[in-house]
Amino acid sequence: MSLSTTRTASAPMPVWAKNTLMIAPLLVLLSAFLAYPVGRLLSLSVLGPDGFSLDAYRHLFASSLYVNVLWITFKISLATTVLSVVLGYPVAYLISTAPAKLKSRLVFLVLLSFWTSFLVRAFAWVVILGRNGVANNFLLSLGLIDRPINLLYGTGATLTGMVHAMLPLAVMTMLAVMENIDRSLPRAASTLGARPGTAFWTIYFPLSMPGVAAATIMVFVTAIGFFIVPALLGGRRETMISQLIIDQVQQTLNWELAGSISVLLLVVVLVVFVIYDRIFGFATLTGEDPSSQARRDTLARRAGSAVLAAIGAVSDWLIARLSFKGRRKSVERYPWVLSVFVWTVLILISLPALLMIPISFSSAGLQWPPSGMTLQWYEQMLNTPVWTQALIRSLTVATGAGILSMLIGVPAAFLLARGRIRGKAILLAFLLSPIIAPRVIIALGLFYMFAELKLVGTSIGLIIGHTVVCVPYVVMTMVAVLRNYDVRLDLAAQSLGASPIKTLRHVTFPLLGAGMFSAFLFAFATSFDELTIALFSSGGLNATLPKQFWDEVTLQVSPVIAAVSTFLLVFITLLIFGADRLRQRSLAR
Amino acid sequence: MGNNINNWSRRSVLKAGVAGAVALSTTSMWSSLRAQTKRIVVRDDGGVYTKAYTEVFYRPFQEATGIEVIGVQANAEPTAQILSMVDAGAYTWDMAKISQPAIRMLTQGQKKYLEPHGLGNDPIVSVMPEHFMSEYGVGTNVYSTVLAYRKDAFEGRQAPTSWKDFYDVEGFPGRRALRRHPFDTIEQALLADGVAIANVYPCDLERAFSALDRIKNDVSVFWTSGAQVEQLLVSGEVDMVPVWVSRAQSARSSNAPVGIVWDQNIWGLDSWAILAGTPNAEACREFIKFTCDPKRQAELTKYFPAGVTHPQAFDFIDPKVAVDCPSYPDHIAKGLPIDAQYWTEKQSAALERYNAWLLS
Repeated sequence: MSLSTTRTASAPMPVWAKNTLMIAPLLVLLSAFLAYPVGRLLSLSVLGPDGFSLDAYRHLFASSLYVNVLWITFKISLATTVLSVVLGYPVAYLISTAPAKLKSRLVFLVLLSFWTSFLVRAFAWVVILGRNGVANNFLLSLGLIDRPINLLYGTGATLTGMVHAMLPLAVMTMLAVMENIDRSLPRAASTLGARPGTAFWTIYFPLSMPGVAAATIMVFVTAIGFFIVPALLGGRRETMISQLIIDQVQQTLNWELAGSISVLLLVVVLVVFVIYDRIFGFATLTGEDPSSQARRDTLARRAGSAVLAAIGAVSDWLIARLSFKGRRKSVERYPWVLSVFVWTVLILISLPALLMIPISFSSAGLQWPPSGMTLQWYEQMLNTPVWTQALIRSLTVATGAGILSMLIGVPAAFLLARGRIRGKAILLAFLLSPIIAPRVIIALGLFYMFAELKLVGTSIGLIIGHTVVCVPYVVMTMVAVLRNYDVRLDLAAQSLGASPIKTLRHVTFPLLGAGMFSAFLFAFATSFDELTIALFSSGGLNATLPKQFWDEVTLQVSPVIAAVSTFLLVFITLLIFGADRLRQRSLAR
Repeated sequence: MGNNINNWSRRSVLKAGVAGAVALSTTSMWSSLRAQTKRIVVRDDGGVYTKAYTEVFYRPFQEATGIEVIGVQANAEPTAQILSMVDAGAYTWDMAKISQPAIRMLTQGQKKYLEPHGLGNDPIVSVMPEHFMSEYGVGTNVYSTVLAYRKDAFEGRQAPTSWKDFYDVEGFPGRRALRRHPFDTIEQALLADGVAIANVYPCDLERAFSALDRIKNDVSVFWTSGAQVEQLLVSGEVDMVPVWVSRAQSARSSNAPVGIVWDQNIWGLDSWAILAGTPNAEACREFIKFTCDPKRQAELTKYFPAGVTHPQAFDFIDPKVAVDCPSYPDHIAKGLPIDAQYWTEKQSAALERYNAWLLS
């Protein structure tokens, strides 16, 4: 931490210097390993063989294809965002109110799908939704349908796959904020006579808005870069813009056009940012002085409050209808509808990963229903060292990237959430650019750079590359968490004589523990599941797990991947619960 | 992998024989290189290819020369990777098994990203048929796109036997899939529309797309990857689909009732190519020579029906296996060779048009 050099007794460091120290590592990282390599590639779009040229852009608008695909991409991403946030909110809410032990189990379930590669999950959906798949089999056996129905290869399947991939991100981002909402506020409302619905909608919901806002923007910018899931589950019209970029990079080697499509995509996302800022204000993300916010009693704000109050009244009426065993006075006790809903979502999240368990023991391969009982897939897995090597490498890289992202991201989040600095919106856009910029462009740019630095194929290279894409998640989560953090607690500690370091150690960090843990976990999981950078920068010699999955899956959807997924599931479960045990024991001491 | 598992027992029986045959042909002639290079890295297709190549090419070559060969998998057309490796001078790979269009892409500009192999006059390599050779590549495997169908879907009725049947929605009702790429798809459309094999290139795109329009609404799935299309066949998601024959064969070996139409197959060539500027180019050349051995190539068919390129290789292959090889003389005669030149020039435009067609 940069603060370690200051001592309260000596002359305090000027604010600008402190601010610079907090944000500098992030800016250096993103400038060196994102802006520079990506900028170099994007500059190709205006640099033809004969110097400056706008041909690539002329080409871009000569056919309606690129604009059309961009529009489709936008619609799919938006639908994914809305669904993820709406479905994820109750899940996050329930988790945040659960007792500690249940909470860690629920978080584990949310992240469960992360430990199987997204490729495996996409194929799992193919097995579930296929004509002879799980869902059709189930419906047929119930007699609800008499012929298999088409569930795959359309908008529905695409959205299912994408929402499934994005839900954990939405839940974790919102959860980080909800963890810090003061439970006594809705309770106070209840004591003052507000019924649960009203207390929730007028008190709790507005307090959780920073989480919703952060989740919305994170899911949207992540979803807009997707292409493998829509390609595997979608129909003829579900083409995403990243697919076109990949085609140009890998198939036709037209990097000028790839660059210009990327620029177009970046422009569109920036426009979305501006609109977002106009409607919600970036303040919802980074937070601003609460006193100045309160004074802005605009018409929109009052209308919003009225709407929330109305929703509260309606939900109170519904709650009264639905809970037969008398009224529930406290918002802490949620109606059973919520529980059922949340568990359904959690089961759906886990379904693709759990599906791998029966398949891994079946001699019928990826066919449904499984038949026979065999250990041959596990034998094949253990017969080659590649899987264990890949697992060790992925764990190393993910741990490295997780720690580095925290070291760089947390100070920056403190500054963004609390500092009074100018140009926050620009800073935020820059910060999010690793997620917005097409991953393949980052991967290619980084490859060139790593080649010059002799980092291709090294763990260090992969850690740096993954940190670039993980750090935005850390910063956004931490900013959202800090938004709800009462700074006066720090001030109180300091006024009682605690040094800034002591304040951090004994007041700030313990209070932020849960949020920091989820930020780290998310960075870890993102790196653990990252494919594109690994494809280019691992050189193929030392594969990470997703790269190994990719190799296996592009060649054959072999049940070995089911065996590996099951093995991973068990391994990670033991790892997480083991760590949890250790933590509890050390706390008890 | 599918094929491999089925051949497991047969394979171990044959292993002793393979070892003997290979030992005979590897004498001191390869040992001159021992001192210079320790290792070369070869891009191949992974999976069963890596496995078969390791047993038949890589390991025996190391035993003969002391040079370790490491097979590394990459995606199907790794042109971007090769381009960036050569540009950056970071030779993660020394050589690669790549398609003819890929070779052209990498050598059409001012800067050549591949090293001329210069083996045209080499006594071992010069016996290779001319259509399997080029300045930058030595053909090592023929791949082929065929029409595959589920036999159970055509029980009691005529199964399709040509691209024309595939495009005949009324005569051959059933669920269809197409590749989400103009490669092969355009050729199929033209063949279905009655264009003779000799006249397919240069492709009449207008005609191809109007043929495609006819079946557009009857195509249930547009597939993108080989694994995906194999799954379509194995699970019975579709009844008929144009597919790489290796995928159809792999589906068949996992007990799916798959029929294969070899007539009008569309075949292409994978070649060994050396990355321009690699310090290990000499070792790569020796390795390429090593693979141009009919007996050794024939050994590949113990693992999968390889598209062997050496003309004499079929002398050593079980006739029952030979008919499954894409390079089987009869298949080559009835097939359409992919025109790499045409696709290098027209790929961009065709891809753009195909993508737009998908959305319309």
